[in-house]
Amino acid sequence: MSDLEYPSDLRYTSDHEWVRVGDDGVVRIGITSFAQDALGDVVYVSLPAVGDTVTAGDSCGEVESTKSVSDVLAPLEGEVTATNAALDGAPELINSDPYGEGWMFEMRPSDAAAAEALMDVEGYKASLS
Amino acid sequence: MTTAQSGTTSPLLSPLHDRHVALGAKMADFGGWDMPIEYPGGGVVAEHTAVRERVGVFDVSHLGKASVVGPGAADFVNACLTNDLRRIQPGSAQYTLCCDESGGVVDDLIAYLKSDDDVFLIPNAANTAEVVRRLAAAAPEGITVSNLHHDYGVIAVQGTKSDEVLESLGLPTGHDYMSFVEADWQGRPVIVCRTGYTGERGYELVPRWDDAPALWDALVAAVEPFGGMPCGLGARDTLRTEMGYPLHGQDLSLDISPVQARAGWAVGWKKDAFWGKAALEAERANPTRLMRGLLVTGRGIPRAHCAVAHDGETVGEVTSGTFSPTLKQGIALALLAPGVADGETVSVDVRGRGVEATVVKPPFVQVQVREA
Repeated sequence: MSDLEYPSDLRYTSDHEWVRVGDDGVVRIGITSFAQDALGDVVYVSLPAVGDTVTAGDSCGEVESTKSVSDVLAPLEGEVTATNAALDGAPELINSDPYGEGWMFEMRPSDAAAAEALMDVEGYKASLS
Repeated sequence: MTTAQSGTTSPLLSPLHDRHVALGAKMADFGGWDMPIEYPGGGVVAEHTAVRERVGVFDVSHLGKASVVGPGAADFVNACLTNDLRRIQPGSAQYTLCCDESGGVVDDLIAYLKSDDDVFLIPNAANTAEVVRRLAAAAPEGITVSNLHHDYGVIAVQGTKSDEVLESLGLPTGHDYMSFVEADWQGRPVIVCRTGYTGERGYELVPRWDDAPALWDALVAAVEPFGGMPCGLGARDTLRTEMGYPLHGQDLSLDISPVQARAGWAVGWKKDAFWGKAALEAERANPTRLMRGLLVTGRGIPRAHCAVAHDGETVGEVTSGTFSPTLKQGIALALLAPGVADGETVSVDVRGRGVEATVVKPPFVQVQVREA
């Protein structure tokens, strides 16, 4: 597992998702290196619809690999503002670039500071060991 | 040798276990054995594609090995297992089934006919002890049934480049599909059988247990120049599902007979006797469900036990389902009511969502095993 990376500028959930807080208050969400490695080759992704309102912990999509399927959980409460359409044709981006082109969706949290309550990188790494 | 069945004891280890650990493979339980599912630098899709396009090498040492030896051993096996061993000559192997008297499948296995007095069997890992127990209980005096699970390893080399790979080790190639040669590699005996579970041209090698690591190392090095790689049981499962090959415990079981699984081609119906003959003959006249292939036309991957509906009515369930790396679509094997025909559209309940699929006759991808 030592070759898996966890950027220090992200927040993390215990469900192995990452959250990047943007300057405009919108957050971007994806799954961690750990999650994509555990899933194996991702072959399908279904995502929430833009405009959906979600509550933290809601199942709002699925990420499916050759071996298994996992729910995509909303890390925060808020409104979905964008989804990564590239994953439709290239779900493998989640494996090859989980923090970059493999992002899943964006949302505007109802509480702008809510992301600060999620784990930082040290907390997430500690949770994996 | 009952440890393989208990499941609560510590996992059994392949003779290549330390090789898999050194390669960083993801390991998982398979029939009581701790086996590689996929390797770093590969992954199910890349390993699958290597086999379809080039070559891959698999450790399948969890498979059972057993022998039936003594005067008339082949006749004895022929009176127990379903397929007709008299259809093949010594030096050939045959896919066959071990049924119980009700026609349920205890296991599916490969029988290697060495001579009239010597039959070598490759059952599934979890069922070996039970197959051996049943044969031993039925064996007449003079015929010995031995469980050799830990006496041999099994390494599969599968893909169009498998001949070149074996030739680079000085091993025999080019013999007919389902035939085997007892060869020698660096002074060590190894059986080279033209068999496999992938649908590609390929071989399964049976070295002695202690010789397996050196042979594995040589094969892993030998596949590399051909763009091949070690492949785990994850890719083995997607490869076999694309072929429609059944997996015991999912597509064949004590509850899924060869009639239902449409494995009747592996039953010697004209033989005087085999275990389960009367029950299977009766069922054959009036099967209640039959194995079909499902090719998903929408988005979604059917998994085992997903319900299948036709015209709004449940007509059966999926027994094996996966993503086909070759077709980039969901595929499945499903037991359906006999009235549902090939070409019809059904709906698979994938976690509450209806996914459309077409009923088809497997294989989903063209079989290459007999390619010259």
